[in-house]
Amino acid sequence: MADYIKFVDVTKCDGCRACMVACKNWNDLPEEPQDFSGSYQSHEKVTANTWNVLTFNEHQRSDGNFEWLFRHQSCLHCVEAACEKACPEDAISHTKFGSVVIDADKCVGCGYCVQGCTFDVVELATYKDKYGKEYRKAQKCDLCTSRLEEGLKPACVTACHTDCLIYDEKDTVLAEAEKRLAVVKERFPNANIYNPQGIKGTTSVYLLADKPSVYGLPENPKVPLSQIVWKDYAQPLGKALFGVTTMAVVGAVISTAINKEKGGHEGGQDHE
Amino acid sequence: MTNHWNDLQHANVLMIIGANPAENHPISFRWITKAKENGGKLISVDPRYTRTSQMADMYGQLRSGTDIAFIGGMINYVLENELYHKEYVANYTNAAYLVTDTYSFEDGMFSGYDEGKRSYDKTKWAFKTDEDGKVLTDPTLKDPNCVFQLMKKHFSRYDVDTVVGVTGTDKKMYLDICKTYGSTGEVGKAGTILYAMGTTQHTVGTQNIRSYAILQLLLGNIGIQGGGVNALRGESNVQGSTDFGLLYNNVTGYMKTPEATEVDSTYQGFLDRITPKAGYWVNTPKFYTSMLKSFYGDNATKENEFGYHYIPKLSAGKNYSFMRLFDAMYRGELEGLLLFGSNPAVGGPNARQEKESLSNLKWMVAVDLFETETSSFWQKEAGADPASIQTEVIFLPACASFEKEGSVTNSGRWMQYRWQAIKPKGESKADLEIVHMLARKLKDYYKNSSNPADLPMKAMTWDYGEHDHPDIDLVCREINGYDMKTKKQVKGFGDLKDDGSTCSGNWIYCGFYPEEGNLSKRRDSTNEGMSNFLNWSYAWPANRRILYNRASADLNGKAWSKDRVGIEWNALEGKWMGHDVPDFVVTKGPDDPTFKDPFIMIAGGKGAIYSTGLNEGPLPEHYEPFENPMLNSFSSVQFNPAVQFGEKEMNPQGDVSKYPIVATTYRLSEHWQSGAMTRSLPGLAELVPHMFVEISEELAKEKGIKNKDKIFVSSARGEIEAYAMVTKRFKPYKLKDKTVHQIGMPWHFGYKGIAIGATANHLTPHIGDANSSIPEYKAFLCDVRRA
Repeated sequence: MADYIKFVDVTKCDGCRACMVACKNWNDLPEEPQDFSGSYQSHEKVTANTWNVLTFNEHQRSDGNFEWLFRHQSCLHCVEAACEKACPEDAISHTKFGSVVIDADKCVGCGYCVQGCTFDVVELATYKDKYGKEYRKAQKCDLCTSRLEEGLKPACVTACHTDCLIYDEKDTVLAEAEKRLAVVKERFPNANIYNPQGIKGTTSVYLLADKPSVYGLPENPKVPLSQIVWKDYAQPLGKALFGVTTMAVVGAVISTAINKEKGGHEGGQDHE
Repeated sequence: MTNHWNDLQHANVLMIIGANPAENHPISFRWITKAKENGGKLISVDPRYTRTSQMADMYGQLRSGTDIAFIGGMINYVLENELYHKEYVANYTNAAYLVTDTYSFEDGMFSGYDEGKRSYDKTKWAFKTDEDGKVLTDPTLKDPNCVFQLMKKHFSRYDVDTVVGVTGTDKKMYLDICKTYGSTGEVGKAGTILYAMGTTQHTVGTQNIRSYAILQLLLGNIGIQGGGVNALRGESNVQGSTDFGLLYNNVTGYMKTPEATEVDSTYQGFLDRITPKAGYWVNTPKFYTSMLKSFYGDNATKENEFGYHYIPKLSAGKNYSFMRLFDAMYRGELEGLLLFGSNPAVGGPNARQEKESLSNLKWMVAVDLFETETSSFWQKEAGADPASIQTEVIFLPACASFEKEGSVTNSGRWMQYRWQAIKPKGESKADLEIVHMLARKLKDYYKNSSNPADLPMKAMTWDYGEHDHPDIDLVCREINGYDMKTKKQVKGFGDLKDDGSTCSGNWIYCGFYPEEGNLSKRRDSTNEGMSNFLNWSYAWPANRRILYNRASADLNGKAWSKDRVGIEWNALEGKWMGHDVPDFVVTKGPDDPTFKDPFIMIAGGKGAIYSTGLNEGPLPEHYEPFENPMLNSFSSVQFNPAVQFGEKEMNPQGDVSKYPIVATTYRLSEHWQSGAMTRSLPGLAELVPHMFVEISEELAKEKGIKNKDKIFVSSARGEIEAYAMVTKRFKPYKLKDKTVHQIGMPWHFGYKGIAIGATANHLTPHIGDANSSIPEYKAFLCDVRRA
């Protein structure tokens, strides 16, 4: 099977937010109305129940030009996914589509993935069991893997009327992306294709109209070495030696260390 | 639309003015994006930088209510720099027509004004004719009394500096826009103008559109693929509504409603009055009689003037439009009101006053999906005292579009049939069912009456089935029309007769349902050329996709551009052929003297640069809105002299000294109209949960307002409280001699539903356009302060 990717050409987005409605509709996510944000943006960022958010950024460029920058914000589905590395329960994995998914049965709601995520996308949702006891599960966009399995495109892509969102064969899309980039450079000199190689690329690739930092995205994200060591070496070894429970405790300690190493989230979500 | 949605992709330049399609007609951007990918340039002209402006290549800011100044300046630029399409203007428009000497224009006033009546004697503006009534022309366009020279003189006053001093547009940007849009005057190029309620909802709304039409005729942009004057209708079927005579002053197919006058006292007298001597409208009697036959069937006979006397007549000169109905309610002159999907307590101008007027009704029936602010106007939460309101209010639950079958006609005049997707909820019914049941009850109620006043109800045919659910197919067949004897479907409006042998409920739709079936159900997406999709649905008239498409070809009948072929004269076949249904007599060839007259609906066949049709003059002239921040720079006439005033108490006027800020209202992608549907949908309420007012950073600083603060906005009509959205997307205007601020706000909000908030229309004035009476929602004065 050829590799497919989701491509987001933000210069084609007209900010209609059909992608947000389509996502909630398909994934049966509850509404979470927010206090007045002071801008057109509905949520500060994606949450456990709002898997994509259209960001609106009133950006005064240094050359004096004004741009109202829109971005469809959702999981980028990193090839080297920090959330997956952070998970002590192997609940997070890559599917054959390249989508990064969370197995709700395995997820214990520890929140390491929330801390670990390079793009501040994963969040914990709180549910109640039949006895009224609260429990938590990590949630985020899964690229509509349930649709991909049926040969359908992600719900957000289907809803998009300007082809700002497309889902197609990777090689074709990336080649087209380069052509698009050349076209939009005239208006957006800082435009770039955001497919960070420090995490071996993403399955959801952006054409951004300005530098990543303008959108609150890290310029050169990497999965911290400690996280890789933890997941790929310490965990398998530790589980063998000390058992799963002990390793979860160790994990908490390491997770704190990882956060320090990351120095918090760069820039945060830049919106009005 | 003269053109249609898919056709937008063919434009070289698109100018969006008085519209915000990225937010209010999002799907249009599928085609606008394609135009851009093909190298097209997009211009957005708006008081506020919108989502459309962000998609555009150029953004021109203009103060609300100054469209004519803006376009007048463009017309002047095009004329001065000779960017216009010379062959087109000379041959396809009335530029060469000579105007009588009684025409004059001085200091903002045309000749023939009657101050007492606030109206003009339009005969003073007539064309000069010879003894046979033929219009005199000067093909060289040099006669000082020809339309071209009069227009040139008129718009020469719209020089760039005066214009930007009125509109507040950045001068350099304005010139760039003039140049870019003016480039479409080049032979073979196409420019399109898209507009919506930002254009129409002004006291000069109709003249705003006239100014677009003139600019488009000058640039040769009418009748061609990728051109046109394109109204983006504000509701999925508003095109259908107006087509079917929903306005008081016309019946179906844009024919006039009779008046209670001596002339109209006989059918023949009425027909003689409304039927022009030339142009396609000479067929009016065929269409009118066929309509009467559809209303009254066998009860419409030659002897009883085809039932003409059954139709209600308007009191001569009386205005029955939306605001005047509320004036009448205010005065207690109306007993009852039927509201179908209408929410004036949120959507009407000076909405609080309109809401108060409802309590003077004896009864009101509201048909809607949800209980609205209007249907609950008597409740405590509406600020009313239920005990003191005597109005009997009946609420009928209606079902949504997905729960019923029928057609909608989109802005591109495509009548698209839709099928029921899900069963209606509860007891809700389709509008058609509700009207059907009501009509059957009424007919039954009056069936034994001998009162002559009840004759129209008795004479009316209502043969759509004997059950509560009507047979919609019978309705469709009647709209198209059939032969009264054979009952065979009529092929097209060319076959309609004035002798009572045919019926047709709406002549412009005649042809959508021939013997072979209902063509609005067609879904063949084959592109046979120029994306006209002739086998997808049905476009009125006659399945024509681009109106006036004869003008897409040159004087010899060849396309102006081989990339833009509408129809062409095929000498071998002896007919017009191409990618569209010809808007011309198919076999009319170069030997015919009217071969070069593309505008077949107009007497003379020439596009109207100059028109005696509108009430305030034959050429558009800038007047300030009812409430305005400055003196008129173009003349000493401040306000449109042909606007009629309604009930004074309904329309208090604010002055700039007390209300120095210009305001406008608009819609958002996420909500729709008065919000009656969208504010009750959780998914949409989540996206825009709060009422807000957009204000510039500069105004916020002046007033000590921070983003997210609660503020009060007040006008002469009332005051509302809402959140301040401080934004870079509004900027103060630097006008001729002062700086003026503008704010804007969505008009979607009310107190019912999930997302609730203050109603913007508590602020808007109760005055409207001099021709259409549409309210001036889009420009008024206010003040703001921190709450």
